[in-house]
Amino acid sequence: MRTLLPSLPVAFAAAFVSTAALAGPTTYPLTIENCGRSVTFAKAPERAVALGQNSAEILLLLGLADRMAGTAFWPNEVLPEIAAENAKVDVLTVEFPTLEAVLAKQPDFVPAMLVTLLGPDSKVAKREDFEALGIPTYLSPSACSTVRTTKDAYGARTSLWNMDLVYREIDDLARIFGVADRGEALIARFKAREAALRAKFPRKEGLTFLFWFSSPSPDGDAYLGGGNGPSGYVADLLGGTNAIRTEADWPTLGWEGIMAAAPTVIVAAQVDRKRWDLDRADNKIAFLTSDPTVSQMEAVTKKRIVVMSGAAMNPSIRTLYGAEEIAAQLEALDLP
Amino acid sequence: MTRTIAADGGAGRLALLLALGAVALAFAVAVATAIGDYAIGLGTVALAVTNGVGLTDAAIPRIEESVVWNLRLSRALVAALAGAGLSICGTILQALLRNALAEPYVLGVSAGASTGAVAVIVLGIGAGGLSLSAGAFAGAFAAFALVALLSNGATSGPNHTILAGVAASQLFNAATSYIVTTAGNAQQARDVMFWLLGSFGGVRWPDVQLLLVVVVAGLAACLWMARALDAFTFGDEDAAALGVPVGRIRLALFVVTAMVTATIVGMVGTIGFVGLVVPHAARFLVGPMHLRLLPTAAVLGALFMTTADIASRVIVAQQTVPIGVVTALVGVPFFALILHRSRPRP
Repeated sequence: MRTLLPSLPVAFAAAFVSTAALAGPTTYPLTIENCGRSVTFAKAPERAVALGQNSAEILLLLGLADRMAGTAFWPNEVLPEIAAENAKVDVLTVEFPTLEAVLAKQPDFVPAMLVTLLGPDSKVAKREDFEALGIPTYLSPSACSTVRTTKDAYGARTSLWNMDLVYREIDDLARIFGVADRGEALIARFKAREAALRAKFPRKEGLTFLFWFSSPSPDGDAYLGGGNGPSGYVADLLGGTNAIRTEADWPTLGWEGIMAAAPTVIVAAQVDRKRWDLDRADNKIAFLTSDPTVSQMEAVTKKRIVVMSGAAMNPSIRTLYGAEEIAAQLEALDLP
Repeated sequence: MTRTIAADGGAGRLALLLALGAVALAFAVAVATAIGDYAIGLGTVALAVTNGVGLTDAAIPRIEESVVWNLRLSRALVAALAGAGLSICGTILQALLRNALAEPYVLGVSAGASTGAVAVIVLGIGAGGLSLSAGAFAGAFAAFALVALLSNGATSGPNHTILAGVAASQLFNAATSYIVTTAGNAQQARDVMFWLLGSFGGVRWPDVQLLLVVVVAGLAACLWMARALDAFTFGDEDAAALGVPVGRIRLALFVVTAMVTATIVGMVGTIGFVGLVVPHAARFLVGPMHLRLLPTAAVLGALFMTTADIASRVIVAQQTVPIGVVTALVGVPFFALILHRSRPRP
């Protein structure tokens, strides 16, 4: 898979040309159903402020940098392939922005990635704040599907998360900007990458993955990617299952429990923030191979440890990139 | 300390002090309304305010009018009211519990509020109909009810009540941790943390109205019982000897403070420091008699919180900073100064 990556721009161009003619232009006013409410757009946005990395990256992948007035909230580094585009757009802050800072950009559209950024209880902004000013908003379907309190249209996380929620988001955003063709091309590109992985990794009985996000300390419990979250989806895409079978997206488990789960492969996440030592993948691997007890796990003795960006464990476009990252390393492993 | 304000002629000085405080507060609110991440001319700010109160009907950009009226002014007023409310509650609890370290969260309300908020976010209790604020309020009141129960309707004395508060806090903190670690995910835990650390970012006019009613009613009730409060500072037995119905007054005041604190926590999170130190600053200025102390604490608290909120918006532009962090950062130097100046001289 790794050798495939340099040819992606070519695949991108091909996909773009082949599907560009399929989708018609958006007719305005356009009304979109989003997280249980209707949002109407009188025209295509020209000054969007994207709250949250996934929202921003989708707009950038859709080639909309010139129609973005700003972005905020970046837990990770931007995808390298859109870094140049991203440099053209103002970053208000990599943390939670203030509502005033967002409004100061005179936005005509505000898409957001998390309910903390735009939910009913958000201290940053509420959808009503923007609606009162005639500014339409959009909340990531993945974000409102994780909130179990609201009966939203996209279902709760009691079943396995998959990329369809992200595709829905891409399609919505593309139609909002009147570039439905680019949205379809992007989705087609992602779907092709998904299908390629599925074809390459047929179901393998007993293949389980453990997704280790981070730990505050080596002797403490580990933060793991849960059964039905994006981690579970990555495992499924690669022909296996999540070794941890929880409904919670981010369960916490001690090493005894992890050893009992006996994963075939351990995924050590590379988390770019610098909160804990074990955010770094190489520190995770050093712990796994040096701890007298943990190092006895079969996944460790058989050297079945792979590295994936921590961002992929969040429901986002990055999830697919994470699956590909693991896929590239799987072939070199001695799988049972 | 009491000699700063003489018993005779103290009323005039108190009036002057309160008037000065009110002017300073009005100035602080004006500054809070004029500055922000969105650069708006002073003329437009003034017009937005006069438009808002109905004095003018000037045509100014809708976004700018909304930023001044809906975001800044309502926020400044909530900050002032929350500061006043927490300071009143701190004053009352320090008197009732005869403990200089008592503060509005001593009855377990912040721990209870956390549990309530987490239950809404993580467990989905209330199925969407219940907002985070309502959950926090309910949790805060549940914790208070437990404290009241553990301390026999708050009649069994200050130490007993403090211990009951400690127990309730531990219990509710444990419940919060349990919910977050077993049912929650890392993102939700972060959400809860962010929410509870306190912010005035989400407040709007309905919050101003609610808080105004609660804080004014609370202050009125406390002023009504001010004489009894004075008696409490001498101890329960002396208060009883002075004819104060100790148990009933104590419970009534606990209910008032729990009510006010729970409303504030539910609205803006747990903002520390204010309720602990403003009463001491007020006592330094006007002495321990509650008829003077309560209004002074209210004005000082309002002034302090509004100033802290301005600071929080200036320190890190375009980003929200937990207000509790700022109250402590801004407040500690002032408090150190007061401590230094009021230390007993040999």
